[in-house]
Amino acid sequence: MNKILTLIAILAILGGVLAACAVPGGGEAPAGGEEEKVILIGAAVSETGKYAREGGDTRKGYLLWEEWVNNEYGGIKVGDERYKVKLIMYDDEGDPDTAAKLTEKLITEDKVHFLLGPYSSGLTKSASAISEKYNMIMVEGNGASESLFVRGFKNLFAVLTPAGNYTESGLKAVADAGAKSVVIAYEDTAFPTSVAEGAQKWAKEYGLEVLAVETYPKDVADVSGIMSKFKDLNPDVFVGGGHFNDALLFIRSAKELNFTPKAMIITVGPSNPKLVKELGADADYVIGPTQWDRTMSYKDEYFGTAEEYAQRFEKKWGEEPTYQAAESTAAALALQIAIENAGSLDTDKVREALNAMDVVTFYGPIKFDETGKNAGKPMGAIQIQDGDIVVIAPESAKQADLIYPMPPWDQR
Amino acid sequence: MELLLQALFNGILLGGYYAVMVLGFSIIWGVMGVINLAHGEFLMIGAYGAWVLFRVFGIDPFLSLAIIMPVMFGVGYVLQRVLINRVVERPHLISLLVTFGLSIALANLFNVIFTADPRTVPVSYNGSFNILGMTVPIVKTMILGLALLIMFALHVFLQRTRLGRSIRAAAQNKNAARIVGVEVGRVYAITFGIAIALTAAAGAMISPVAPIFPFMGPPFTLKAFTITALGGLGRIPGALLGGMVLGLVETLLATFVPGVGTNVGIAASFVLLVLVLILRPQGLLQGLRPMEVE
Repeated sequence: MNKILTLIAILAILGGVLAACAVPGGGEAPAGGEEEKVILIGAAVSETGKYAREGGDTRKGYLLWEEWVNNEYGGIKVGDERYKVKLIMYDDEGDPDTAAKLTEKLITEDKVHFLLGPYSSGLTKSASAISEKYNMIMVEGNGASESLFVRGFKNLFAVLTPAGNYTESGLKAVADAGAKSVVIAYEDTAFPTSVAEGAQKWAKEYGLEVLAVETYPKDVADVSGIMSKFKDLNPDVFVGGGHFNDALLFIRSAKELNFTPKAMIITVGPSNPKLVKELGADADYVIGPTQWDRTMSYKDEYFGTAEEYAQRFEKKWGEEPTYQAAESTAAALALQIAIENAGSLDTDKVREALNAMDVVTFYGPIKFDETGKNAGKPMGAIQIQDGDIVVIAPESAKQADLIYPMPPWDQR
Repeated sequence: MELLLQALFNGILLGGYYAVMVLGFSIIWGVMGVINLAHGEFLMIGAYGAWVLFRVFGIDPFLSLAIIMPVMFGVGYVLQRVLINRVVERPHLISLLVTFGLSIALANLFNVIFTADPRTVPVSYNGSFNILGMTVPIVKTMILGLALLIMFALHVFLQRTRLGRSIRAAAQNKNAARIVGVEVGRVYAITFGIAIALTAAAGAMISPVAPIFPFMGPPFTLKAFTITALGGLGRIPGALLGGMVLGLVETLLATFVPGVGTNVGIAASFVLLVLVLILRPQGLLQGLRPMEVE
């Protein structure tokens, strides 16, 4: 008897937990009466797993847009009517198979009208394969690898600068400052691979000799083998392609082995204030590409200037927006503009509107080429100087000059 | 030549770390026959413990071991009594399920508490010095020294003390141990406590050199599995040998194979695993118990 009671109690608790989990984020059902017009937009974005950090930025970017479009903007204009947005997001756990499965669920079970992208190129690659199969439009802001856009898909649109161009402005800056040689290490997944291929191309373009190129797997715990090899080559510039954790690992490892190139260019990590918070002075002088910065001079009629967007973000989330958050908002905004221009929820019409799009937003210009990439947007570069993230390129948003060479680790 | 020396040294540093990281996993498996899939999560907890103590109280991560190890011993002891004890001596699958569930629960709990932002403990002395043209990373060398010390202490404990002998007795034949008056249940709980304390200590030790985040655990669990199978279950010399072999193979390949060395190193560790399982299923050194399939 006692056992049965315990069992019932456990089941009841489990049931409660499941019910609580099952309520999708954002928006409640309209409280009866007049029916509200709603556009369902779905996305699989990491909440756990390796990309939990960056996935969180992506979610915050999407949610900021959802709140703004529903409460301030009054809903998306479709013809003469206003549609509220309901965002449905699931956790893909950083796993490509899960991202694909969830995308399928969003399309077939939740019956979303449009999709937004996950975080990272690898996940975007698998998610977009499903959306293409169902002829669903996916606008994304966090899959930069060129390999996404050579598959002939007609429903995938990316608002961000492609990965191959990430290191262009950084490499140009160090080459102008006198650098002669470069070594490259990158994670062997879609995005860093594109970054590294681009880095080799731009290094050649700016007259830098590539001394070595090294790859490492996604869950690497130690890069000292790569770093001691690089130290032996004594290059002027180190380029690291990876995500936030890899930036920590590269900087730690370089310091431990006293590997002192004259400049370190690392993707994803440096533009995030949290890297400085964790590493302190060791993060100084590191250069990073940035898709967007609040100091950039872009603006639009929706979110205002880049700075105004940043303030809005801070007010809602209590932290500075990373570029990953800004490009996620921009992806959602591009979808909104396309729906409004099309005046319809019809996939074909919205696709036409996306193909014809040529606007400038708080995030920068958005104009898709025939493959769906945002071809026109330049990539900036930042350097961490004395604990601050300052823009060193492009010229129009520059806050300070590049410091080159960086001082050795023991002289800081 | 210089590069070779450096690579060997880096390999030994990595191997020493692997050895101390794997101890807890190896002991639990060896003594209780439980494969602890939440191993990496306990390591993660130790790393977060060191991070909190450093950020809030300014305690050095190596000194914080004095706090983290007793606390985690207590956690391990209680956890064994309320949870793990129910699955000891059951088929492997049951303990796999329980510890797998535990790993997911812990990782997500820490994700809620600490968010997914990667952390690190920026100790001021995290640099290097030169000996004979070799770069010696200070923190990693300290980790190696401490790892050897811990292994030596544990070895003495298991071989020389009464409690240590009861642990080994329970591992070898629990019925015989019961007959001669060993309280197996208590011994299991103490063993689990020690193993969790060691694992958390390993986490605290790498907090200055590795990113700390809620989902850092699974790669460590996988590595622990490989090393344990390589070296033999539940024995300290086995853990040391397995760790060193893996550390050296990975580092040497990463340094001398151009382009894809790091990947080849990790692939090689699994090739090694398969070879050992075929040729010497008891591990390179004889373990506490054979790796029988139940």
